[in-house]
Amino acid sequence: MLRGSSGVSRVTIALILAAIIVVAVVALFLFMPRGPQFPDTIVIGTTDRISDLDPANAYDFFTWEVLINVGEGPFVYEPGTLKLVEGIISSYEVQENGKVYILNLKRGVKFPNGKEVTAEIMKYSIDRVATIQGDPSWFVLDFIDSVEVVDEYTLKITLKAPVSFYQSVLAVPTYFPVDPDAYPMDEITPDNTAGSVGRYMITQWVRDQSLVLEANPNYYGEPPKTKRIIIKFYKDSSSLRLALEGGEIDIAWRTLDPADINSLKENPNFQVIEGAGSFIRYIVFNTNIEPFDDVRVRKALAAALDRSELADTVFLGMMDPLYSLVPNGMWSHEDIFKDKYGDGNLDLAKQLLREAGYSEENKLRITLWYTTSHYGTTEADLAALIKDQWERTGLVEVSAQGLEWSTYLERTRNEELAVTLYGWYPDYLDPDNFLYPFLHTGSNRWLGNPYSDPQMDKWLDDAQKSTDRNERSRLYQLVQDKLAEDAPIVPILQGKLFLVAKKSVKGIVVDQLMLLRYWVIYKEEEGSMQQSILMVLMAIPVISPRLLRRIKE
Amino acid sequence: MTSLKIYIISRLLITIPTIFILLTLVFIIMRVLPGNPVLASLGVKATDEDIQRITEQLGLNRPLHQQYIEYITNVLTGNLGNSLVFGRRPVINEIADHFPATIELTIGGFIISVLIGISLGILGGVKPYSKTDTTVRIQSIVAYTLFIPLIGLVFQYIFGVILRILPVGGRIDPLLTPERITGLYIIDSIVTLNFPALISSIRYLILPSLTLGIVLSGVYVRLVRSSLIEVLSTDYIRSLRSRGIRERDILFRHALKNALIPLITMMGLQFSLLLAGAVLTETTFSWPGIGTLLMERILYRDFTTVQGIITIYAVFVALISLIVDIIYAYVDPRIRY
Repeated sequence: MLRGSSGVSRVTIALILAAIIVVAVVALFLFMPRGPQFPDTIVIGTTDRISDLDPANAYDFFTWEVLINVGEGPFVYEPGTLKLVEGIISSYEVQENGKVYILNLKRGVKFPNGKEVTAEIMKYSIDRVATIQGDPSWFVLDFIDSVEVVDEYTLKITLKAPVSFYQSVLAVPTYFPVDPDAYPMDEITPDNTAGSVGRYMITQWVRDQSLVLEANPNYYGEPPKTKRIIIKFYKDSSSLRLALEGGEIDIAWRTLDPADINSLKENPNFQVIEGAGSFIRYIVFNTNIEPFDDVRVRKALAAALDRSELADTVFLGMMDPLYSLVPNGMWSHEDIFKDKYGDGNLDLAKQLLREAGYSEENKLRITLWYTTSHYGTTEADLAALIKDQWERTGLVEVSAQGLEWSTYLERTRNEELAVTLYGWYPDYLDPDNFLYPFLHTGSNRWLGNPYSDPQMDKWLDDAQKSTDRNERSRLYQLVQDKLAEDAPIVPILQGKLFLVAKKSVKGIVVDQLMLLRYWVIYKEEEGSMQQSILMVLMAIPVISPRLLRRIKE
Repeated sequence: MTSLKIYIISRLLITIPTIFILLTLVFIIMRVLPGNPVLASLGVKATDEDIQRITEQLGLNRPLHQQYIEYITNVLTGNLGNSLVFGRRPVINEIADHFPATIELTIGGFIISVLIGISLGILGGVKPYSKTDTTVRIQSIVAYTLFIPLIGLVFQYIFGVILRILPVGGRIDPLLTPERITGLYIIDSIVTLNFPALISSIRYLILPSLTLGIVLSGVYVRLVRSSLIEVLSTDYIRSLRSRGIRERDILFRHALKNALIPLITMMGLQFSLLLAGAVLTETTFSWPGIGTLLMERILYRDFTTVQGIITIYAVFVALISLIVDIIYAYVDPRIRY
């Protein structure tokens, strides 16, 4: 064997060098800082995306989540209770039977750059939404008649008509103050990171990759529990889950697939936090299209549905059965479809179908449409099981067909699809938002005008104007009763929210607002296994020569 | 003027109508497909007034020929328009955000696939029909059949979850993102001397490019192997052997040079395919590239962004194939146009 001058073989030297290189490379990898290793930092992974950071144009679930963490409006929802409390206002008055709102701004509410929010700035921000006419501008244009500055810290908003739930509207990001120097009056700035007056400010944003939030040093109230939040964007549930298991993120937020959530429940390193969501799923029968102009057909199909089976089989228990358009847990909710039809009531379904003229020889033949590209990977399974449930009557033959989202929307709107599957994320948490857009004449244009009834319209209008919660509740009960009686839209499921986090993450609140409040989340210290491994690896080069000498001797 | 110069000029001239035809086809296809971009963007809560207002704002209510003329004019003046969805940003910004990521991934995958292809191709070609050669041939077939999401998942699980030495998704640690110059993180890190960013971007690039490289290496392995076998059996090599030149020198100094010439053409073609093949890799590794952007925007019927991506892509592919042809001409003096 070839030997060097010291008598050690070249092969041995090469092996030692190779070992040192391997150790160095491994150590390099382990030394590399990874998100969760930074102190005072929580890393959240999501499959959602940010579309537009401008509050005047932002109108999607996840962007609103970011905005409520970097901004604040006149009212805010108290985490966990859904109670509306004052945000950047110290007090308010409602005048002229709910038509006028006087908002008294808190002193010392500042943007991250130190500029204070005044009534002028609030007026500018609201006027800007109206001028730009972005996607959420209806929150302003539909309700507001005028906005006036009374004094430096007092704003007067006059509505077109009294709106019982206007405080909820004042909590949406569209009403957040923006700095006039950063947000031009007549231009949408989708990549604007100037933010608003919330507990966090945006310090870095790389579209579709990551968002970094740091505590706003000028926030007027209690600072957030965690100094820095990093949001990382993943393409699918599988990547999100692997990132959590690989330690790259502390929290896997929307959306993990039901199978991944169930699997992670078994993992002792993680906690699965479950919360009630206000996202609902429903079936739409277009009553203008035969045979769904016959109420007996609609009722029969509503009766044949077994919601528990849909929730358990397709969503593995990750959704709850829903028997009204008003979600479970919201005031005025009634299990009206359960009371009227039960679940999987095949006898009633058969009876109604026979009354409508159908039989084993003359089956009701329908097409159930669903979208392949909007509600996740479970949609085809959901449609298949609904088809199966309807066909259990023996009197119905169903063809389930999928369409991609834009075509689906267009054809529904054009009244080309008679039976469709849809979902709804609320704009504000009030029964009005779960009933009016579906059942009021003209408001359900997006569903192809499937329903119109003057009595229903009157109840909905009255409930919108009344400021008496009891009276509104009574009206909404009437609305729900008639909804079940006419069955143009049949609620089926209500989403639950799931979040999987490391055991060391505390303070998470998941409620029906469905937006994560980052400022209440914090992390307890955890031991670093990587540091221990690193210590051992670092020792190898030191130990190796001794070991080699010992072996030689 | 030399024949090569004439060839380059004629190639450039051919590229222009190619891109023009491609743009016209994309313009027509996107409009023939059912689906409305305004509805897709506004979603279920859109009112008739919203739809009408935004359709007018975007000019989608005008006759098709007018839209087409305006579109082509804009492209010629370097204006790719604004996206129809998600904040309606300028298309050029959308492309600038995503294209560098795809280029970086493609280059990474390309280097790995060529390295695997040449080394295994040589191993197989030197001793054809030996056990080593059989193994190499099996590898090349297996590489063809590998499904990117599957092999990606295996890598993610081993290196990201079990060993925890490489990240499972993304492009760089968010806190180490280098100052943007080219958008290619490795280049930007080097230029700004930001070494933590350099190491981080390499770490994030390893798994996606390894996955892409392995899957696409099969074609190189087979090409190098068969080309080497052919070259090694020529009279020229036999005469070198008869003069007693060492086998190693014959292989590396003489045979390989000639055997790798067909590889260069294939590299040009493969690079274009790699750009397209990167879509699956991008999805698997949450890599924010142009492929996933294109897929997403086709679903949303975002005409302008799709057209913009295709334009940039076509120009890029045309340039790559031109460069490859020029290299080819230089490497092989027998080739003249």
